[in-house]
Amino acid sequence: MIGWLRHHKHALGAALRRLRVQALTTLLTALAMGVAISLPSGLYLGLANVSRVAGDLPAQPEISLFLDAGASAEQKQAIAARLGQPDVAKARFVPRDEALAKLSASQDLTDVMAGLTENPLPDAWIVRPRDASRDALVRLADGLGKLPGVAETHLDSQWAERLQAALDIGRTVAWLLAGLFGIALIAISGNAIRAQVLARRDEIHVSRLIGATDRHIRRPFLYLGALQGLFGGLAAGGVLAVAGTILEAPIAHLANLYGSSFHLMPPAALDIAAVLGLATLFGWLGAWLAVTRTLHLVETSHP
Amino acid sequence: MISFSQVTKRYPGGHEALSGVSLVIEKGELVFLTGHSGAGKSTLLNLIAAIERPTSGVVSVNGQNISRLSRRAVPYLRRNIGLVFQDHKLLFDRNVIDNVVLPLDIAGFDRREALKRARAVIDKVGLLNREKANPISLSGGEQQRLCIARALVGRPALLLADEPTGNLDAGYAADIMAMFRDFHQVGTTLVIATHDERAITALGGRTLQLDHGRIGEAAA
Repeated sequence: MIGWLRHHKHALGAALRRLRVQALTTLLTALAMGVAISLPSGLYLGLANVSRVAGDLPAQPEISLFLDAGASAEQKQAIAARLGQPDVAKARFVPRDEALAKLSASQDLTDVMAGLTENPLPDAWIVRPRDASRDALVRLADGLGKLPGVAETHLDSQWAERLQAALDIGRTVAWLLAGLFGIALIAISGNAIRAQVLARRDEIHVSRLIGATDRHIRRPFLYLGALQGLFGGLAAGGVLAVAGTILEAPIAHLANLYGSSFHLMPPAALDIAAVLGLATLFGWLGAWLAVTRTLHLVETSHP
Repeated sequence: MISFSQVTKRYPGGHEALSGVSLVIEKGELVFLTGHSGAGKSTLLNLIAAIERPTSGVVSVNGQNISRLSRRAVPYLRRNIGLVFQDHKLLFDRNVIDNVVLPLDIAGFDRREALKRARAVIDKVGLLNREKANPISLSGGEQQRLCIARALVGRPALLLADEPTGNLDAGYAADIMAMFRDFHQVGTTLVIATHDERAITALGGRTLQLDHGRIGEAAA
């Protein structure tokens, strides 16, 4: 156990020394990795921020049913009866007076309201369907729209839903990119480690002759790959921090124009840990592939 | 300690380096392998250290059958064998003591203990004042002694030397042979491939004559 720890300490020390000796190569590799990591994680972070805006919107789909101002009492009753059917989970009647009162209270429109001689708002129903699926929603809204006395139906969730769908695509793209750049990461790390193995073939050959196990020979290279990946993750963090700083002012300006206090949220600690962990893992994986392949080459080319 | 039974080594292309070699080397013996170049001396040493595998026949070292030894077991076999190479195989990216300490690092020794042992061995081969030097700045004889120090630092029971005095002038060669005699006296088994006749007569011990891959024992 102590020997095992000592081996690991030794390998880690050797890897760190090598990274320090080749500081420029280390830096360039870390930058290449950082850019590769920052693209999908930056996209993901951006989407998380947009989702936060979308999160304030009603997720439960609702249909607003606006009645014709001249709708007769029978028509109103027929509508109420229709809304009592089982495909409607809940229906709430909003009389035009209540709507006006709410509007005046909730927004700074009191002045405007005071100028009105009569209430311009129609009576309305807020309908929550039982089946929230897209098709059922549209079918119900269409059916209700055709009832006599109904002026207009409005799917409240439409906008939110479209945004949600777009965000879903965005997230899928982010994962796709993450997969592709993960492969790129493995390739970058593998390439860097391959060069290291070839540069140290004499040491590997001699170590073998004096009793080094495969694992002993692999270990420093695996640490090298993992560290390189970790540095790549940190570089990605740096890239994103710079991008965030640059974007902060224009976004605050845009939010201000919308009367919102929205500002960019930095990633959660858990997300940062996940990105660093994955970068380390991919760096290690690339190193493992390169070492396994290259050691074989080194061994067969040496007599 | 070492036994060969009807060992043949044929290389791709058909060249037969060893043909039906049988021999036994006891623990603590000092054995010289002689013969013209290409007679199979290096191949024989390589088979003992499992650097090569026999085409047929059985090579056994410390009771282990080399042909059947798994790839994973080879390193542990080699840790009991000190190897001295004609071309030294030193690493020029580190100094003398780091070269010597390498086998102990590989075996997982405590660093301080390893350095202490390395220093003792370097002292024994007379390079203590060159401890921090890069091996590239050493003379041929010093490089060979450094190689021997590295082979001995793990205190192996068996030392294999392939032409250890091949490129050295007589003075250095005598030094190195004297060093081997000392190891022999403390019980190390030595197998030395050489065609340095003077060394053989000076040290005594058994001589195995290889001729075109076949063995003949010459009187000491």
